[in-house]
This record gives sequence, C-alpha cells and structure tokens, in this order.
Amino acid sequence: MSAILSVDRISKSFGAVAALQDVSLTLQAGEIRALCGENGAGKSTLVKILMGIERPDTGSIAIDGTSVAIRSPSQAQALGLAQVAQELSVIPSLSVLDNIWLGSAQVPLLHRRRAFRQRAQDALARIGAGHYDLDRQAGTLSIGECQMVEIARLMVRDARVLILDEPTATLSDTEIEAIFAAVRALKAEGRSIIYITHRMGEVFSLCDSVSVFRNGRHIVTKPVDDVDRAGLIEMMLGRSFEDMYLCRQQGATGRPALAVENLGVPGVVHGFSMTVPRGRLVCIAGQVGSGAHTVLRALAGLELATGRVSVDDRPLRLNSAPRARAQGIHFISENRAAEGIFGRMSVADNVIATRLPAASRLGLLSWPRLRREAARLIRDAGVDERRLGSMIGDLSGGNQQKILFGRAIGQTPGVLLMNEPTRGVDVGARAEIYRLMRSFCEQGFGLVMTSTDLEEIVGVADIVLTIYRGRLIGRYEKEAITMNAILTDITHPPALTRNGINEAAAAS
Amino acid sequence: MSQSGTITAPAAAGGTRPGVRWGSLAMLVLRSVFLVALFGIALASPGFLSTANLMAMMTSAAFVGCVAIGMTLITVGGNIMSFSLGATVSATTLVFVGALLAWGILPAILVSLLFGMLVALAQGLVIGWFGANPIVVSIAAFALIIGIAPWSTAGTSLFLPAGAGQEVLRGKLLGLPIEFILLIGLAVLGQFLLSFTVFGRNLLMVGSSRWAAEAAGIRAWRTVAGSYLWAGLFAAVAGMLLASRYSKGNMDYGATFDYDAITAVIVGGTAIQGGRGSILRTMIGVLVIEVTRVVLLLNGFRQEWQYLISGVIILSVILLQTTVARK
Repeated sequence: MSAILSVDRISKSFGAVAALQDVSLTLQAGEIRALCGENGAGKSTLVKILMGIERPDTGSIAIDGTSVAIRSPSQAQALGLAQVAQELSVIPSLSVLDNIWLGSAQVPLLHRRRAFRQRAQDALARIGAGHYDLDRQAGTLSIGECQMVEIARLMVRDARVLILDEPTATLSDTEIEAIFAAVRALKAEGRSIIYITHRMGEVFSLCDSVSVFRNGRHIVTKPVDDVDRAGLIEMMLGRSFEDMYLCRQQGATGRPALAVENLGVPGVVHGFSMTVPRGRLVCIAGQVGSGAHTVLRALAGLELATGRVSVDDRPLRLNSAPRARAQGIHFISENRAAEGIFGRMSVADNVIATRLPAASRLGLLSWPRLRREAARLIRDAGVDERRLGSMIGDLSGGNQQKILFGRAIGQTPGVLLMNEPTRGVDVGARAEIYRLMRSFCEQGFGLVMTSTDLEEIVGVADIVLTIYRGRLIGRYEKEAITMNAILTDITHPPALTRNGINEAAAAS
Repeated sequence: MSQSGTITAPAAAGGTRPGVRWGSLAMLVLRSVFLVALFGIALASPGFLSTANLMAMMTSAAFVGCVAIGMTLITVGGNIMSFSLGATVSATTLVFVGALLAWGILPAILVSLLFGMLVALAQGLVIGWFGANPIVVSIAAFALIIGIAPWSTAGTSLFLPAGAGQEVLRGKLLGLPIEFILLIGLAVLGQFLLSFTVFGRNLLMVGSSRWAAEAAGIRAWRTVAGSYLWAGLFAAVAGMLLASRYSKGNMDYGATFDYDAITAVIVGGTAIQGGRGSILRTMIGVLVIEVTRVVLLLNGFRQEWQYLISGVIILSVILLQTTVARK
C-alpha cells in the first residue's frame, strides 16, 4: 500500500488561538481512518484545510507523493478530496440524478444524457443503492438515503479520499448498516475514507485505524486492533477516565413525577403509557422513526396528542407548550440549533430565556437580578462564567447543551424531557451532562430521555422502555437492562403479550 | 450604541470567532465615515442650518420616525417588514379628522389610537396565530385599508377648520416642534419595551428562533400580535400628528412611509432576519434618510434622486452586512 494523502507539519491559528499545531498524518489507499477527539480538538479545522476552505499557516500536503496547494473547494475536488458534510447538501427540489451530478466539474451544459444516467446508476449500485430511482425527487428521501446520494455524488466525481463527518448521528440502525456497507464498498475500490465520529462503537466495528486529536495536536495514530475503548477515551481526554456513566440510583421514591396513560399521536404513537418516579432517569429506546422523540414532544406540548397525563398528580392539559412549561415540564429538543438555542443571542440571554416572568414585576424586568441569575446558572451548569457575553452559536455543542440544561436549574423539581441529549456532544462534555442529569435526579426531578445510542442507554438509565412503531414493547430495570434485550425489542419485537407489554423487567 | 440583543457586552477575547471583531470594527469605521461625510455635506449645503429648515426636518422626521419604531418592533420579532403601516397612517388621518369634528380632541385621540391598534392587531393575529406570511398579509391589509377607509369616511380627504382642537398636536414645546418631542418620547418608550419588559425580551427570542421560543414555553403568537399592536399604535400617532399639522385627513399622506421606515430600520442595522435590533439605532437611520432628503432638496435635486440615493444606501448596507456575516 502506498500513501495516498500525507499531511506534513501543518499548523493553523485563528487570531491567538492555535487550532492545529504541527500535525502530520498519512493515509493509505483503501484505508478507513477514524478521526476522534473532543469538539475543538482540531478535527474540523483539518477537514477544512483538506477541503480548501481554510489555508494552513505552515506545513504542506502531498497527494500521491506530490506536494499540492489546496486553495479552493473546487481544487480539492479536482485533487480527489471530497466531503459528506454534517449538514446535508442534497437539494430537496432536484431529482436524485441531478443531485448526484450537482456541482461536478465534468457536467456539460446538457447533462441528461444516457452516459451520465448510467454512471450515476453505477455509482449507486456500487454502494448498494442500485434500487434508487434516479428521477425521484430528493426531498422525498430519508436522511440516510440522502447520505447515500451524497456518497454517490462523491463517487462520480471520482473522489479518492472521502471525508465523512458524523454520518450516522441521525440515522436508524438499518440506515447505519447501509452506510457502513457503502463505506466498505468504497474501501474495496481502493478509496480512502476519513471517518469522523463521536461513537466509539463505530471506530471499532468499521475503521482500520484511528487518529486521536486533542487541543489542536495529533496525539497518536494506531490500528484499531491495538487500542481498546477505555484507552481511546483516555487519549481523547488526556486524563484517565474511570466511568463516564454514573452508577444507578437505588432507594425508594415517593410520588411519581409524571404519569402518562394512553398517549396517542395520530399515525406515530399509539396507546403509550409510562410512570416516571421522582429521582429516576427513564430512557425510551427506539430507532429513528419509532415515535420515541414524538412521545416527549407530545408531553412538551409540541405535538397534537391525546391521552391522560399528570404531572405531580395534577392533570396536564395537552397540546400547549406554555401550559406544559407552567406545570413544570422542561423540554430539551433533539434539534438544538432550531428548537433549543437562540443562535443570535448571548449565552446569558439563552440561559434566562424561560425565567423572565419570575424576574419581573408587572412585565418590567429586573436586570440586576437577571444578571446575577444568569451568572449563577451558567456556573452551576458547568460553563465558564466568562462566556456569559459570548454568542451562544460560538460555543461547542456540549456547552450549548449545558446552557439548555441550565434553564431548569434551581426550578421547582418537575419533569425534564430530553431528546438525544448528547447528540453532537463530545466525550468530555457528555460525562458532564450525565452528571447534570444525576443532579437533577437528586433534586427530585423525574427525567425522561430518548436516545438512539444503545450504549448510552445501557450506561445511564434507571428504567428502560422500548418502543417500536409507536407502541411500548418492554420495560426493564436494573440487571434486566441489557443491550441484547433492547436491541431485539426495537428492531424485531417479540409478539406483543396479552396486555401489550413485554414484562421482562425485574419486579419492583 | 448598543444592540439591545444582549445583556452583557461581548467578552473581550473569550472565544468570539476571529474575523468577527474585525468585521464589526470595519462596519463601525464605514458607518462613521458615512455619517461624517453626510453631515459634512449637509453643513456645507446652503440653508441647512437655518432654523426653518431644522424645524421642518424635525417635524417630518417625526412622522416617519413613529412608523419606523413600529417597523423595528415587527422586524425584531422576525416578521421582516410590513407594507401596510403607511396606509394605516393615512387612514388614521381620516379617522382622526372625522372623530375630531364629531366628538372633540380627546375622544378623537382615543378613537385614532384604537383604530391603528385594531388594524395592526388583526394582521398580527393572522400572522402569529395562523403563521401566515407577514409580507403577504401586509399587502392584503394595505389593499383593504385603502379600499375601505375612504369609503367609510365618504372621501379621500377631509378638512379641519381652524380651532377644531388640532392645535394641541402641533406648535412648539421648549422651542422644538411638538411632533419631535413626541417622537423622542415614543422612541424611548419603544426602546424601553424592547429592553426592559418581558414582552420585549420575548419578542427578541421569538425573532431569533420562533421554534426555540415555543419549545421554551413562550406564547409566540401572542408576542407577535403584541408587536403589531404597538406598531399600530405608533402609526396612529403619526397619523394624528400629520392630520393636525396640515389640518386635513388625506389617504396619500402615508404613501411613502413604509418604504422610508424600512430604509431607516435597515440603515439602523436591525437584523432583517429578526432577533436583534434597537429603536435607538433605527432613529439614527431616520436621521440619515431625513438629512439625505433635505441635502438633495437644498442642492436642487429632484425627488427621483432621493429614491435613487436611498436605494443605493439600502443596497450597500445589505451588501456590507452579508459580507461581514460571511467572514
């Protein structure tokens, strides 16, 4: 094997901040390389340099042993470097075919010619997506299918190094399998893949080697066979790391914080019931599209739903977010950018967003009080107090999420609903978010979260509920919480038992 | 001049993206150069500093200024622009004159304010509750207002005889036109709403991200409707002032106000996407377009030039904003 891409002693600073320092890497043809590191470790800066979006301050890049200067994205494309972006760049109003050829330097003015159709079809077939209809409008594809179209796009451009940035973050298991198969097919063709992920499992099941970044430096590159999970996390954090997940709460609990009976959202959730004890963390496990997210959205008043719900034994009238909020329900959305943060406002503004009425009299605000409150909240949420005046959009995903948790700090213990609370959050910040969750438990909140990351669910949950096609399948506690049981339930559930619930859980 | 969007000043160094600080510095320099140049030309124009001219400027700035305050609130709430505020102003001049003739000054003021608020509130409810496109709604409202108002008052203009009571709303206070004093008061009120009330903060949040606001339990529709309610009130004030100044109600008075107010909002630097902005900055925008207009007038340019210049100003502000944002 020969080095297809080599990066030699690259450094890049933004103002006084060194984003990359003296980074050297080589990538072989047909290699799948995982890129790991916390947010801000320098992964995305490296990708931007390879894609011609940023220019390095010092250092050089060689392709096939020839030194190159990548000055623009189109030049990167010409050199065979290509990226499947985290934010998808599939245009919904165009056909699959058009999307595959979109932005390609080879497309002549009239491009609906047979040869182009054939090559697009070929590319799809080679990654196991030969059954896609080239004339279908891309807007009707699922996120996973869009990603396959993007990969096909990179193939018709004959990209030799493909960069995939967290491609599976929002996909269901079957879609993840399709992506994995596509990546392996690319490898078999001798293409190289740089695979950025926060999910440890994918590093070991898919990649050949792993490069760890920390604070802008390249720490180590090793074959995955030479590292283990704990070692990898330690390298990413730069400190020893005993247990990311905290031990489960035992002990008795008092009244239920939340009781849900027969919750229904037309076409998505059917007759879903659950009880959330105070001080416990309930995880709803389900695939993308299983309705897990919708359950929490409905409880937060953001979906039209039916059913009987009570918070703290007081009945909750559904279908209104303000009413849910007033009754002590806090909601953290799966879509942080659109439904969580106020991107154009400061950290302080964001953290006090929900408590303006409490800090006002007759609609007039008390700024001294709000300032004090904001400072206290972000301190308690574990974010540097000097960030108070920063735009929240400038913070890492983990810090943004902590700010959203901060909105519930110090409130009368109620219910905290979290959809994918660690999506786009790096390993170090994840541990802090789990700690925040535990502190909410200790204060007497009832917590419910959904996650498509099974490892996380098994790690943090007190009680696991499984959901499949909008129906509750099983309920597990303590030792009964196993990856296998959950996986079976959410992919091929056993026939529903008499009462509709698979009571595999230990009693209590 | 601070953007009222944040509680604290941006941290000196802490983590802001590189380029942003240079970008905003460049904007500041450009703005200052522009302002200095504009006022340089103004001072060099013959007659600019005459009392008569300054008084006239203050008066006419007040009319557009009132509308621009409301326009700022609507824009901050994420609803881009309204094209019906000018028509609301015009219709209010008729309502005011009619009410004044019938019932006297105090009832006329109340009826006018109520009228402006209702007209705008109806739009705010359609936009906030049904999620209708604000521009389309305002265009429809514009058509409805200019269609209905003259019909209901039996004519496109109504005259006020001297001594009907309109003298209260014109004339001078402390040597300044009363319209100008009122504008300052309303601008302070508008900024106060934005910065120191729950409504104002909610408006900024709804404008920044409507979905995030709803998920946080804010009643977005109510906030949006509120911004229109206030905009209607401010437009009604402009209408009363106009009718008093010219002793006449006329459907043509507010014709260019939407355009001028939008220019003022954009020149002032309120984010077009919503979520950021300040009334005080909009007032600078009002000042800029007013001075530009007068300078062109004093130097013998025709009205077409005024449109041309303000078009150029809007375009350059937008281009500057987008290039800085992209940095």
